[in-house]
Parts: sequence; C-alpha cells; structure tokens
Amino acid sequence: MTPILEFKQSSHLNPALVDPAKTQLSGEKLLGHWVNTNHETKGIAECVIERNDDRYSVSIRGVGENGLIAWPIVTAATLANLEEEAGQRTVALAANFDFGFMRAETHIRINKGVLVIVLFNTFKDDSGRANYLNREFFYRAS
Amino acid sequence: MQIAQLADQVEIDPTQTDSIQTGAFPGSWINSNPDTNGIARLQMTQSDGKLLLQVFAMGPEALIDWGAEEVSVFTSSPRSRVGAGFTCVFDFGFAETRLQGMIMKGLLVLAQFHRFKDDSGRVDYFVREYFGLEHGRY
Repeated sequence: MTPILEFKQSSHLNPALVDPAKTQLSGEKLLGHWVNTNHETKGIAECVIERNDDRYSVSIRGVGENGLIAWPIVTAATLANLEEEAGQRTVALAANFDFGFMRAETHIRINKGVLVIVLFNTFKDDSGRANYLNREFFYRAS
Repeated sequence: MQIAQLADQVEIDPTQTDSIQTGAFPGSWINSNPDTNGIARLQMTQSDGKLLLQVFAMGPEALIDWGAEEVSVFTSSPRSRVGAGFTCVFDFGFAETRLQGMIMKGLLVLAQFHRFKDDSGRVDYFVREYFGLEHGRY
C-alpha cells in the first residue's frame, strides 16, 4: 500500500526524493580547498570542505586586517540539489556559523565548477550595523 | 568592533541609524518558469512596519496558499540601509521550508531549503527559482 504523503507543493511529491538510485547523492565535487576568485575580497578568503562518512565539515577563513580570521569549523546540513550539475545530481550544503556578536547563515553549492557561497549575516551586538547578505565565488585550489 | 571578515568593519553611530528601506519588496512576484512544480507566486506586503511574505505554491490541482510569514530583511553591506534580500521560515509540521531571497537587477532569486520532519523517507532538498515583479509597465 502506497503511503499518503503530506505536501505543500508538487515538488514535495517528486518521486526522485524517495528513489534510492537518485538519493545516493554525491558531494564529491564540493570537497577540497577553495580560494576566492576575487583577490581583493573583504569577505571570505578561502574555504575547505571535507567529508567524514556522510558528514560534511566546512572550514572558512575570512579576510582580516592582520591576516586571515579562522571561523569555527561547522558540520553542514546536506540537501539534494535538484538542479543538475553537468548532468548529475549533487548536494548543496547549509552551514551556520555563530560568532557571538554575529550569526552567518550560508548555503554552498557548485555551479559549473565554481563554488558559490551565499551568506546572510545577522548582527547580535548593538553596533548599529545592518544585517547584510553577500555572495562570493571560489575556484578549486586542491 | 568584532568582525569575522573585513566587510563587517564599519563605524556606525548606533543612535543615528535610519530604518531599513524595504520599498523594493512589496508586490506580486511571479515565477519565471511557467512549468514549475515549486513556488508559483510570492506576495509581499508591508504592515505595521513589518514585511510579510505570502507564498502560493503549485499543487496537483490548484495553487496552495502557505499563508504569510514575517521576513527578516538584509542589506547589501553593514553600512547600507536599503533592503536587498530576506530570509523566512515556513513550518508545516511534516516539513520545514526555509527561504533565502535576494534581489539582483530586479530579479528575485529565491533559494529554498526543504527539510522533511516526517518518516516518509524523502530526502531534504534544495532548489532555486527566479521571480519577476509584476510592475504593470510596458
């Protein structure tokens, strides 16, 4: 008997979401050391994505005044990326970083070989800084 | 001032900050893909200083109204006071959908994170869709 699935849009019923052949998703293309394509960035300088079993860890270093700033290493949530990359299904990552004074909510994906990181930064201090978003692009260094 | 990246480093007098302008958001945003199986239309409205997002998604037979949720607005830099994007969460019980929107050259790019909380065995998934604002010109 086919179970009745709850849904809020037709894509919630996409058979690919329960097809073992299609849900064995490869995040291989995300793994490695990625460097910002913009060498004058004031944001993220580089990113390392590693996998242990099914868990993906994200390590980011931001550009600082006197060198790079190591962000806390976090485990990312993995999501099937229903947009195909070079004819293959892959994964997107969602990773959240808490700095105390600020929280950065990110999503990370591959687009035509380029790693794209989109950040939504929310300040938790009283500095008056506006919460802001940013998008940066990275090439594979190794 | 604490920073995680140089872009965070701006000097602002906290007592002199204007509210964030959100004029770019209100209206009816239509999916650029007429064959979508996801979100067909977004309705954004302002009410009592809040920005609300109502979602109409494609269903097997008709549009499904998700109702409205308040969004958190983001600018393009810590110094800016002009809204450029938003985040929002819809919790349906069996699933949670987190939306991250950003406006680029009049186009709303909407990243959607669908996380299932039931035991249906469906994998969590990510998709991006593109929306244009119905502006009534031309």
